[in-house]
Amino acid sequence: MTPPTIRRDGRSDAFFDAAGRGELVIKRCADCAAWHAPEASGCHLCGGAALEWTRASGDAVLITWAKVHPRGEGDALHIAFVELAEGPWLHAALDGVDDPSAGLALKAAFVRPDDGEPLLVFRTA
Amino acid sequence: MGAAIAGLGMTEMGKVYGRSARRLAADAVRLAAADAGLALEELDGLLISHGMGGSPGIELADVLGLRDLRLLTVMNAFGATAGAMIASAAMAVQSGSASAVACVFADAPLRPKVSAGAAYDSTPREFRGYGGMTAAQGFRSVNALYALAAQRHMAEYGTTSEQLGAVAVSTREWARLNPIAQMRDPMTTADHQASRWVVEPLHLLDCCLVSNGAVAVIVTAADRAADLAQPAVHILGWGQGHPGNRYERGSDFGLTTGATISGPAALKMAGMTVADIQMCQLYDCYTITTLLTLEDYGFCAKGEGGEFVASGALGPGGALPTNTGGGQLSGYYMWGMTPVSEAIIQARGQAGERQVARNETILVSGNGGILDHHSTLILSPAQAGSSTTTGR
Repeated sequence: MTPPTIRRDGRSDAFFDAAGRGELVIKRCADCAAWHAPEASGCHLCGGAALEWTRASGDAVLITWAKVHPRGEGDALHIAFVELAEGPWLHAALDGVDDPSAGLALKAAFVRPDDGEPLLVFRTA
Repeated sequence: MGAAIAGLGMTEMGKVYGRSARRLAADAVRLAAADAGLALEELDGLLISHGMGGSPGIELADVLGLRDLRLLTVMNAFGATAGAMIASAAMAVQSGSASAVACVFADAPLRPKVSAGAAYDSTPREFRGYGGMTAAQGFRSVNALYALAAQRHMAEYGTTSEQLGAVAVSTREWARLNPIAQMRDPMTTADHQASRWVVEPLHLLDCCLVSNGAVAVIVTAADRAADLAQPAVHILGWGQGHPGNRYERGSDFGLTTGATISGPAALKMAGMTVADIQMCQLYDCYTITTLLTLEDYGFCAKGEGGEFVASGALGPGGALPTNTGGGQLSGYYMWGMTPVSEAIIQARGQAGERQVARNETILVSGNGGILDHHSTLILSPAQAGSSTTTGR
């Protein structure tokens, strides 16, 4: 299946810059050092508004998953909530995880399509 | 002085084409006022809940020709709105800020020759940014998020697809007795299991319908309602619960809902416990929603919802008749007005072949977002403090 093409939006360019280097970055509060998902715009723990893109370990565990079945041709895809070692959950795509189970150890990886930005996926650690 | 529901107006529902959501809303308000035996000009409050496919706003008052209203607002707590609207109307009546309040929901997402699945489709033409990346990878639909919730409950508590199927089957058994239900063909657990995956672990028959239509109710003072055309349906308790799940370590996503907050609040106001509830009308956007809501209200222990729904308790003849009109799974999808409307019909004793004999205490739920927002109402044909209410 052809991977979807992702374009930049100006708000998450740092994520894709890091992805190009094979690194996962998420947000971290400059004031209290709490970790947040990439979509976060402020810190719900201390109220701080300064979140900085910061490299995460890429280690995660599987919380829950679902299998998206295509209406036409193509393969079914596993999507998931994964919990990063740092604490935040990510909306994630699983790659090559055939037998998912809660708590399964995962590692962040990137798929590099010919066109567009790299795609974050999680594979069995 | 208590508040009561004095009128119910329901348009045709389902594949109803050619009328906008605004027109449907206006029709439902007119029907509700006529049902109550009130002239439109006797309404002094209007609360509006819009859906996804069209948005009647406060201009609905002008469409209806209402003058000198004392309460007019659009409310939105997604699927919890109907319960929240009726509670607000009751408070307005009890405070004296309005005396007869119409609460209306309308939506018209279906179009001719377009599948129901496409009605709410918001797939973008291109994917941009981090959110675009997750959307492109499959996080595109409410179905996907409820599937993740269902899977978490299944993994945590051993809940099975067949148990979710039991919810769909019992709801269909009720729908078969409801002339206005959209899906009335017989359904077995095998049918449920054989229906196509929407997003695994959710089969097609785990998912609600999509309907065009509108439902309105009139809320007024209990003593005034007693003099109107229909049997009064008393609003004995209400509550909301918005857990604010954060997607991070410790999240209860998929395991519990705001019903743990709204249920006890509504029951306490009504002076009841779940043991006093004789019938449930629950927001059933998916079979898992029914199961979770029953657990969170305390009809069974957390994690035992699967066994409870598979016991036959919810269907005709069961110990806890639930979604007796077919719910949103088989009846009609009018957001929170689906359970509200059936509760009113049952409380009045007007449910015909599906009428439940013990109808004195009815619990009604609303659920919105991805199990993010919840509302609860306790409705009864008997006024608060009267001695006619009895245990289940």
